[in-house]
Amino acid sequence: MDFGRPQQGERVRLRMRNLYILPTRFGWLWLAGTVLLQVVGVQMQSNGTLLLSFLMLSLFLLTLHLTHFNLQGVELACGVPAPGFAGEPVPYPVWLRCPGRSEGVRLRLGREAPGPALSLAAGEHELAVAWTPPGRGWQRPGLLRIQTTAPLGLFCCWSRWQPQTAQLIFPARRAGPVRLLAAGSAPVDGEPALASRQDGSDDWRDLAPHRPQDSPSRLAWKLLAQGRGEYAKRFLDRPEAAPLLSPEPGVPLETALEHLSERIWSWHGRGLSYGLELNGQSVAPGRGVLHRDQCLTALACCR
Amino acid sequence: MSRAAAPLQWLSMGLLALGLLGLSPALSLSLLAFGLAVLTALKLREARSLEERRVVALLQLVCAGLLAALRPELAPSLLQGLAILMALAGLLALELGAGPDWKALLRRSLQVLLAALPIALVLFLLLPRLMPFTTFGAGQGMGAMTGLSDSMEPGSIARLAVSRQAAARVAFPLGGEPPPQEQRYWRVLVHERFDGRSWRSAAPTFPRPVVGQPAPPPPPPAAPGEGIQLWLIEPSGLAAVPWSGSGRPLSADLRLQRSGELLNRAPGSQRRVYALTRTADQPGWRTAPPGPVDLLLPLGENPRLEALAAGWRRLGSDRERLDAAAGWFRGQPFRYTLEPGALPREAPLDHFLFESRLGFCGHYASAFTSLMRAAGVPARVVSGYRGGQWVQPVGGTGYVDLRQADAHAWSEVWLAGEGWRRVDPTAWAAGDPLARSGAAAGSRAGGGPLDWIQQQWWGLDIAWARWWLGYDGEQQQALVARLLGEQRHLLGVVVLLAVAVSLAAGLGGLGWLGRRHRGDPLRLELERTLRAFARQGMAPAAGETLGGFARRLAQRWPSLADPLEAFVANYQQQRFAAAPSRAGRRTAYRLGRVLRRSLRTGNRPAEAVQRDHP
Repeated sequence: MDFGRPQQGERVRLRMRNLYILPTRFGWLWLAGTVLLQVVGVQMQSNGTLLLSFLMLSLFLLTLHLTHFNLQGVELACGVPAPGFAGEPVPYPVWLRCPGRSEGVRLRLGREAPGPALSLAAGEHELAVAWTPPGRGWQRPGLLRIQTTAPLGLFCCWSRWQPQTAQLIFPARRAGPVRLLAAGSAPVDGEPALASRQDGSDDWRDLAPHRPQDSPSRLAWKLLAQGRGEYAKRFLDRPEAAPLLSPEPGVPLETALEHLSERIWSWHGRGLSYGLELNGQSVAPGRGVLHRDQCLTALACCR
Repeated sequence: MSRAAAPLQWLSMGLLALGLLGLSPALSLSLLAFGLAVLTALKLREARSLEERRVVALLQLVCAGLLAALRPELAPSLLQGLAILMALAGLLALELGAGPDWKALLRRSLQVLLAALPIALVLFLLLPRLMPFTTFGAGQGMGAMTGLSDSMEPGSIARLAVSRQAAARVAFPLGGEPPPQEQRYWRVLVHERFDGRSWRSAAPTFPRPVVGQPAPPPPPPAAPGEGIQLWLIEPSGLAAVPWSGSGRPLSADLRLQRSGELLNRAPGSQRRVYALTRTADQPGWRTAPPGPVDLLLPLGENPRLEALAAGWRRLGSDRERLDAAAGWFRGQPFRYTLEPGALPREAPLDHFLFESRLGFCGHYASAFTSLMRAAGVPARVVSGYRGGQWVQPVGGTGYVDLRQADAHAWSEVWLAGEGWRRVDPTAWAAGDPLARSGAAAGSRAGGGPLDWIQQQWWGLDIAWARWWLGYDGEQQQALVARLLGEQRHLLGVVVLLAVAVSLAAGLGGLGWLGRRHRGDPLRLELERTLRAFARQGMAPAAGETLGGFARRLAQRWPSLADPLEAFVANYQQQRFAAAPSRAGRRTAYRLGRVLRRSLRTGNRPAEAVQRDHP
């Protein structure tokens, strides 16, 4: 069941005026079962059947209230949403305060599938509700629907709320061509360049005792000839110059942004340095989470 | 969906299957219950989604309701109750996340059930009962099960005589002594038709209800002084049910025949419960004059018997003929035995009376009744039960316990001016079990512990039959009349009010139970105490320790210094103890109570403390 006036505002407190409750399909079926047992009980003059039928009726009356109490007085607010990527499930933080125990609470954003049923103790809770943003930029997740059918599933109690806080959404990650602009600059100043240097074959760096698995080409023949023992040479790769990433010409902008998003993400994962050049806006080469998020934010907000 | 949901639902299914075991397949409703249970089990097997699982729980409840209609006895009812509880717990487990464990689930479903029960009871007790819509279903389920049969041929009861199976129980709920041992004859069938070999009853095996005919009006309830005999009989397949021969039927199902047979319209494949008054007045059947059928005797079958009776025919009155026959029986060496051997097909009664002289009740009743008829005295054979053990369960009403071994047959002869008189020719034989059991009654009452448990259980069973199965439309009317008196028109308002009150009580109770298990008890006690101080305008400042706050309080109320110190010390000791003890928690409660009371009274803290430290 999904209708009713959505609540607006930063915080919303659920009460009689903004909670809706109706029997579920199972609830109607339950009533039909009650009537059936009543008929059997009257026909057979059976006390047990009559009592069971009345018991089912009173459970129906009781759960009407119990279901409503699950959400009555619950306060809803937004947390501070972390950025996410378009096209994949993104957690949206929802803050809940329950005055008492709330059972079987399901939250659902927009048209997503409802989440699992949660049993919340009295007190404050911060829950993450997943949603899939359609595009990049500052996005609002659509209607938040909170519902419960606990304890017996006879009634569905729900409310709808429009969260106000927008969430920053980066372009979706899609592998594809990216234009690399050669940046003149060597590794950025002040960064420990050594961390990025790997064992390679460019520069001779060091000697180490020779191990059987070392290639014979690495053997320091000169030292061996001098009778100073078997040593292997160690080499290092020269660090690459950090390139500037830029949209591939000839690819539509949105697609190019998605390619850039994927490239930034994967290079960040490999610990490489990169910069960004985008519509005249440029981010100097660098590394790290802050740098990555700066680049992705630039992509998200690109016009 | 909790992981416990599937096992709980299967458990409920198993309990229902157990309840189905005892059903007789002859009733159409029991076939329905069978079918529904099988379908529910299949549904449960293939159900994956929440919706389907819910439907399974509902089907289980409906199944339990059908079972309750078919097996209303105490033990099956307990089983059904358990199945209902499991079905509800399964339904709850579907809604609560994966978290709650079995114990929590069962506790929660018990709570919900208990909260809903008062409303159900109000509706059950106060709502007026409806009459059945049609007479469909009554009178079904024939087929002899055990016990007496409507045709009595000497030899047919031999098999029953060794069975210790339960046959019936009769209780006298309004008090009163059991009838004396020699008066305990419980009549069931009257066999009037004799074809030379077997005695047949004229009563229908089962009275077919006439479709469309309204049910007879219920008989008036028992008058205050009358007393009640409450019968509970095992499935017998006979419409005729045992009774003492006196008293007035109290159940609408009962009909008294002219011959003194009591017919019950309820299906004989079930256990039946009915009540009669317990009055000693002479009921109509005893004075109903005999018909020609009561003198019918195939001539020439037993020539020596006829010759003997012909001598008594010359006597003046029926009474003298009866005395002559009794004297003749006493003078012959008759002996009671359970294994008399088969009687010849030619002149069987002659063989019994003049040659073997061995037999059990059927032989004696049959031969004596034939002799009386041959002598011109209207007579008939009656079968039923004799004797029975008086059982007094702990804290319940006493009852007479009848077994199949107590099945018996005797004669009734018509004496002008007196009516039908019971004559038990078996009593004249040597080795009559009644005489023996009368002597051994004291020793038999002991029994083993298993017997004792069974007797107690049957006592419960009788209470169940009396209070639960006996609650019908009349009882309901009586209850409403007692509650409301003349104000019967207010029943609707009263029911609505009572439902509202029980609903509020149920919700309040659930809320209270929910709160009771919330949070740390030590902390709760502290907060309760802090609230009491907050009402007086004293609240802890930010960053203030409990000790510091207590000192501040002690400055304002110097008289509270001691209880405050004790409370704070105990709290801190418990809070930082390696293993908080139950005794410490109890001390916290006590000290908190003392402190709050001291705060309220203000001036007499010392007394309050002393009162709590006896």
